[in-house]
Amino acid sequence: MAESSETEGSLTESLVTDDMRNIVGVVMRESTSHPVAISDIRKWAIAVYYPELPPRQFWDEDYAATTQFGCIVAPEEFNPFAWSTAKPSLTDPKVAQTAFSEDELGVQPPEYKAILLTEIREQHGRVRIRPGDVIRSAVRISEYFERDGQMGRMLYTTLSNEWHNQSGDWVRTTESVFVRY
Amino acid sequence: MTRIDKLAVGEQLPVFERRGTIEHWNRFAAVNDEFAAHHWDYAVAEAEEFPAPFAMAPLQLAFFHAMLRAWIGDDGRIVSVSAKLRGPFFKDQLLTASGKVIALDHVEDEMVVDLELAQIDETGRSIAIGSARVALKSSVENDV
Repeated sequence: MAESSETEGSLTESLVTDDMRNIVGVVMRESTSHPVAISDIRKWAIAVYYPELPPRQFWDEDYAATTQFGCIVAPEEFNPFAWSTAKPSLTDPKVAQTAFSEDELGVQPPEYKAILLTEIREQHGRVRIRPGDVIRSAVRISEYFERDGQMGRMLYTTLSNEWHNQSGDWVRTTESVFVRY
Repeated sequence: MTRIDKLAVGEQLPVFERRGTIEHWNRFAAVNDEFAAHHWDYAVAEAEEFPAPFAMAPLQLAFFHAMLRAWIGDDGRIVSVSAKLRGPFFKDQLLTASGKVIALDHVEDEMVVDLELAQIDETGRSIAIGSARVALKSSVENDV
């Protein structure tokens, strides 16, 4: 059941239902990457830095051996889940790393005309992604909040995506804030 | 690469610039499996009420990371990066990412640096604002 909430001086019915509130913090999606290949890292760096050369750390194994990591590591923003994952596999329904819907947890999402990504927040651990690493991702809705704007009641949803490597080391958390209206 | 002994609040980072080209965005689409048509198709972008195709948000975030990496060098680390997306980065525009030191704190063997970030296009329109925290390793010879 939706409840009323006062936002920016107006009393409007909340778009957040009890069912939606109950799934905050619940894992809605888990993925496991394939082992990261050096060529994945090289191609990512080349794509980001195009048309210039990326830093040697990301493509030159001899140079990378002289750095604090002792080998090539991935750029912090690298995505090991693109194209194909070990879990879910290619034969399973495809899941996006960024988009989401409450119905993944069996909850009716609110009606909306548009959804936009408004903010991305990334926190990086001290452990970098290296060739051979297998990364696990767990996605949760971490927060709902609402504002009234020119488009009416706007529902903001923060999606938290936490990554760990095969040793259980925390690698990164990405929080993506979506607005629906 | 920056020098810890020269760091000061207010210091501006060297900017990171990229022109919005399909050649570039195709490459990023290929590595990130990100093929929404509004990133390359004028008709789709216009149907969504944008004047032109626009870049992918993760690529914009990667530009902030690239700028920070160039500044901190191989011995620094990026602790966090945030970006509030203010407007699309449209095709053929020149994006300029910039950063400014807003706080310094010596924590154990690292200098922790807080930065405010921005991205604008060549008309001066705000594309994104954000913040970042990086940590630079202190050493005997360049300790503050």
